[in-house]
Amino acid sequence: MGLTIWQVILITVIAYIQRLDFETTQIISMNYMFWSCVVGALLGDFQMGLIVGATIQLMSLGVAALGGSSTPDYAVAAIISTTVAITAGKGMAAGLALGIPVGMICIQLDVLLKIINSFITNKAHDLANKRQYRKMRNLIPVMTVLMPLESAIPVFIAVLFGKTVVSSILNFMPAWFTVGLNVAGGMLPAVGMAMLLTYMPLKKYGYWLLIGFALTAYLKMPVLGVALIGTAGAIPTFMNHSNSGNSLVTTTNGMTEEDMEDE
Amino acid sequence: MNRDNVVEKNDQVLTKKDLWRAMRRHYLAISTYNYDSGFAATLVWELFPALSKIYKDDPDGLQESIDNQFKFYNCNPWVSPIITGATLAIEEKGKNKSLQAVQDLKAALMGPFSGIGDTLIWVLFPTVLGAIAASMGKHGSSIGMWIYATIYILFFFLRSFLYNVGYQSGTSLMTNMSDKLSALTDAVSVLGIAVIGAIVPATVNFKLALKFSQAGVSLTGQQILDQLMPGLMPVLLTGLLYWMLKKGHKMTTLILMVIIIAMAGAGLGIFKA
Repeated sequence: MGLTIWQVILITVIAYIQRLDFETTQIISMNYMFWSCVVGALLGDFQMGLIVGATIQLMSLGVAALGGSSTPDYAVAAIISTTVAITAGKGMAAGLALGIPVGMICIQLDVLLKIINSFITNKAHDLANKRQYRKMRNLIPVMTVLMPLESAIPVFIAVLFGKTVVSSILNFMPAWFTVGLNVAGGMLPAVGMAMLLTYMPLKKYGYWLLIGFALTAYLKMPVLGVALIGTAGAIPTFMNHSNSGNSLVTTTNGMTEEDMEDE
Repeated sequence: MNRDNVVEKNDQVLTKKDLWRAMRRHYLAISTYNYDSGFAATLVWELFPALSKIYKDDPDGLQESIDNQFKFYNCNPWVSPIITGATLAIEEKGKNKSLQAVQDLKAALMGPFSGIGDTLIWVLFPTVLGAIAASMGKHGSSIGMWIYATIYILFFFLRSFLYNVGYQSGTSLMTNMSDKLSALTDAVSVLGIAVIGAIVPATVNFKLALKFSQAGVSLTGQQILDQLMPGLMPVLLTGLLYWMLKKGHKMTTLILMVIIIAMAGAGLGIFKA
């Protein structure tokens, strides 16, 4: 199945809107599944969008653009992967093979656009010092219009040429590469998990890792169930903390950081 | 800073409409981010109409104030409205005499407030909701994804009121509030840690492909590992990556390293999906 030119344009517009939302309102900014489902619905295969999105959502867990850092553009990865998975007709692996690398390349574009922003901001500052406020006010939103291009351009190119490129690559792709890609898909969520753990107060509450782990690994409890138990644990923590200030929160004597690293 | 607490009726030149307008303009958010002034340009864009009303008869004051807003500013955009709302309240009362106070307040609060916004809105909720949505999605159900979207739409509406919170409270309530918020962050961390513990074995997913056969009994490496402890390999990999991050390695390095290990492992027949 090929793409009509209208579908290519619509997918590019979706990518643009997605990034615009991320840069400004952030309503659906990290819900990458949403965008892959939108693309899936557009191309007539919502379920494929859902499943590709779920895989990419897992890879992205815990990865956030903190303090202005650049992260892989998982939404771009989701949009391209879904498109290729549906149109190339070779399943999800083919989609991920193109989507993930392009999502990684977006990091470079992000850095480039932030450098361009630097020039524009300095120009706006100059205008303000010359009291040309009208020009200044017209210049600042230019950045807002430019930033989403970091997603729209890669998506446009990948979607336009993606199917031919991917199917020619797939034709002489060695087996270890496809298997390796699937293994990488299974391993990558660990990066996000590790990243997340570095933000967490493990010294104080690290023992909850054991609880969560035991519930799923041994009791096969779904994540939603663990989240409910975690919420129950969060309530007394909040009460203690806000009553007694910073003192005596449930002590975790025997639990050192080494223990957690073993976990 | 003393004058901040003195509220005089005739100081107030901004109407509710002006505030609402500034709040909406704050949504340029991080689109103007750059490496030397953060997203200061967003603040200039956001505050310009309000400031030009405050400095109606004072063009020199207006220019000085805008120059001040062009100084470095970076904050999590979800909590940033509280800060800029507060600075607007201060500047409305203090005019040019308060510029230093405005700058001090921004510099002092953007770090701690970002900490709260980053942890809750950018990391914890996306992780918990994303993990739920993805695990449902893997089984073909989109309900989790819709729950995720709905909750963030609700957050979005709540966020609009933060601007007023900041404006009303000025500097006084800030410290009080950051105590309460840090209690909340701590509590939600408990939920987050429990969920991370759960999703490591559930989502990190790769298997040993090695086989051993001895005296006619053949066992796969994975079966042996599973008897030791289910989810042992994901736990070890996560532990290793955590240790490397603590050592200061960059996330992108780790991602590339994992892809190379996966490719090599698959090529040598050690791992399978």
